[in-house]
Amino acid sequence: MTNIFNYLRNHIPGRQIVIGVPYLWFLLLAAIPLLIVLKISLSEMESTSVSSMISWTQGWPTIKLNFASYIFLSTDPLYFETYLSSIKYALVTTIICLAIGYPFAYFMARSPKHLQPMLLMLIMLPFWTSFLLRIYAWKTLMVNNGVINNVLISLGIINDPIAMMNTPFSLLVGMVYSYLPFMILPLYANLSKLDVRYLEAAADLGTSPFRTFWLVTIPLSKAGIIAGSMLVFIPAVGEYVIPELLGGPDTLMIGRVLWDEFFSNNDWPMASAVAVVMILLILLPMAIFNKYQSDQLEAKS
Amino acid sequence: MAITATADAASTSPATTSSANTSAVRKKTPQELLRVEGITKVYDGSVKAVDNISLTVATGEIFALLGGSGCGKSTLLRMLAGFEKPTNGKIFLAGKDITDIPAYKRPINMMFQSYALFPHLTVWENIAFGLRRDDMAKPDIAERVESMLGLVQLTKFAQRKPHQLSGGQQQRVALARSLAKRPKLLLLDEPLGALDKKLREKTQLELVNIIEEVGVTCVLVTHDQEEAMTMASRIAVMSEGSFMQVGSPDEVYEMPNSRQVADFIGNVNIFDGVIEEDESDHVTIRCEECLHYVGHGISGNTGMSVGVALRPEKIMLSKEQPTNGYNWCAGEVIEIVYFGAHTTYHLKLDSGKVIKAQELNNTRDLSCGLTWGDRAYAHWNDMAMVVLTH
Repeated sequence: MTNIFNYLRNHIPGRQIVIGVPYLWFLLLAAIPLLIVLKISLSEMESTSVSSMISWTQGWPTIKLNFASYIFLSTDPLYFETYLSSIKYALVTTIICLAIGYPFAYFMARSPKHLQPMLLMLIMLPFWTSFLLRIYAWKTLMVNNGVINNVLISLGIINDPIAMMNTPFSLLVGMVYSYLPFMILPLYANLSKLDVRYLEAAADLGTSPFRTFWLVTIPLSKAGIIAGSMLVFIPAVGEYVIPELLGGPDTLMIGRVLWDEFFSNNDWPMASAVAVVMILLILLPMAIFNKYQSDQLEAKS
Repeated sequence: MAITATADAASTSPATTSSANTSAVRKKTPQELLRVEGITKVYDGSVKAVDNISLTVATGEIFALLGGSGCGKSTLLRMLAGFEKPTNGKIFLAGKDITDIPAYKRPINMMFQSYALFPHLTVWENIAFGLRRDDMAKPDIAERVESMLGLVQLTKFAQRKPHQLSGGQQQRVALARSLAKRPKLLLLDEPLGALDKKLREKTQLELVNIIEEVGVTCVLVTHDQEEAMTMASRIAVMSEGSFMQVGSPDEVYEMPNSRQVADFIGNVNIFDGVIEEDESDHVTIRCEECLHYVGHGISGNTGMSVGVALRPEKIMLSKEQPTNGYNWCAGEVIEIVYFGAHTTYHLKLDSGKVIKAQELNNTRDLSCGLTWGDRAYAHWNDMAMVVLTH
């Protein structure tokens, strides 16, 4: 038994496996699919299948790149509006999540230590139920004869049901609800590590608790704010389920457009082109985030 | 003119009464700045961190709270700063009751043990932080910050962030920040705890010079006896929430009022004995190991059991037996601890008691003639001991 173990230890280089296996996984399951999408975006749709990129003529391969999808994307105003609208809704979601999530996280971080695990669990608990079901639940709550309207009517507060569904309001309710934990958790992680002595030092120097919050707590939690914002904004731009179930005709989001291109129009190259542009759009905030994080790490060392 | 005349009179006639003397030299009685009355802090209903402490600190004094971990010194300091509320008692600053005033409204500033410099601000901004809250005019703020930077000699580092400074530099920024608002009272929480020995020695004196130059009253908390004795004008030795003794450093060291204080500060040998002879100018105390002849009277009676405290540096060692009948004892050298500047010898006396004697290494030949196993005689003069009743 030890002989096999020794053989393995001497012949299989450990370090290369530790780095190699995840690298391979990433290559197969992330990089290559992205390249496939890129390839599809540059080809033509032939009835039910995508044309081949490489064709052989007289023994030499020729690569045909079809930019029609991209040209159409850049000329049709609808796509541009949709991208803008997606970014707008993602931004509003991020801001609302920050406004609601920061007090949440602050309260959690300042609670007695023995209560914090329980509070954390309460934030995480919704994740244990299906995401789809939770969004559907909001639908039943907000629909014209749904729970909220029925309760309000029975209490006599309103006479006619409020039209909440399929509006920007319902979309944002769903978005903020789903993404709030992603804002709270990084903020909580950051705020729980905040040294109380900084706050004491500020108080000692004559700063009222209110100003201490703005001058000391917020700047020192900047890393948490940025991490939370990135975790909300980046996925929110490409969100499909929530706009589909809770959004309406005036909530244009790129995820739905992509779906429609893919399934309704059966235009794979178009859909892939939309996806590629969306990825490029998100790359900019991600690059900023990355740079910020590496600057932080450098400063710490 | 009248003053010089009385001064002359006082100097030429030594028999003048003390009242004439004091009128010649106009003594300024120190003004009381801080008064603490009966402060108690109880945690969770039963743990008494600070137990009914009262003290007064005069303007310009550097007052040290000295004690081991858990003695309540930090809690007391935090109550002075306003971070904790006392369970009972009152705090007065320049005559005003500040017990219920929150920390950010007190004219008191603190230098934290961990410095607590704001990591997101430059050195300049850190020092200016407190000044900005006071709505000072911008040019005034700049002037004050620059003068503070000059005081601690960090003018060139004004634009650096705290993490770009060394420990000693951070400490100086923390000091500048705490002095920037010209507080009435400065609190120092283990100011030199984070520095290495060489830097600590250098900084001790620098710190005292700066504090005296600025003229601010100081309360400092430390567990380091050396720090307390070199820096403070008065020390309070604390244990379990109350003061054991309050006095100047030499008072606390040379005239401890109890075994606990004698043992806490520095090293001490304590002999248990009974008073044999009690006269107004001398006392003899019979101990198991030796006979003590103390060259001054004490308040006590014959037959009383007392402790005689003798510091190691007051003991002299020799190989020959002393000729007089008192203030010496004999033992075997069981341990020699070399400190460089001095050496401590552990002597096991015939009774089994081990005493420490410290000799200065004032020659370079490293031989005071004693080695392990030698029989040595420890002797001391009659003013070297302190008689302790409890």
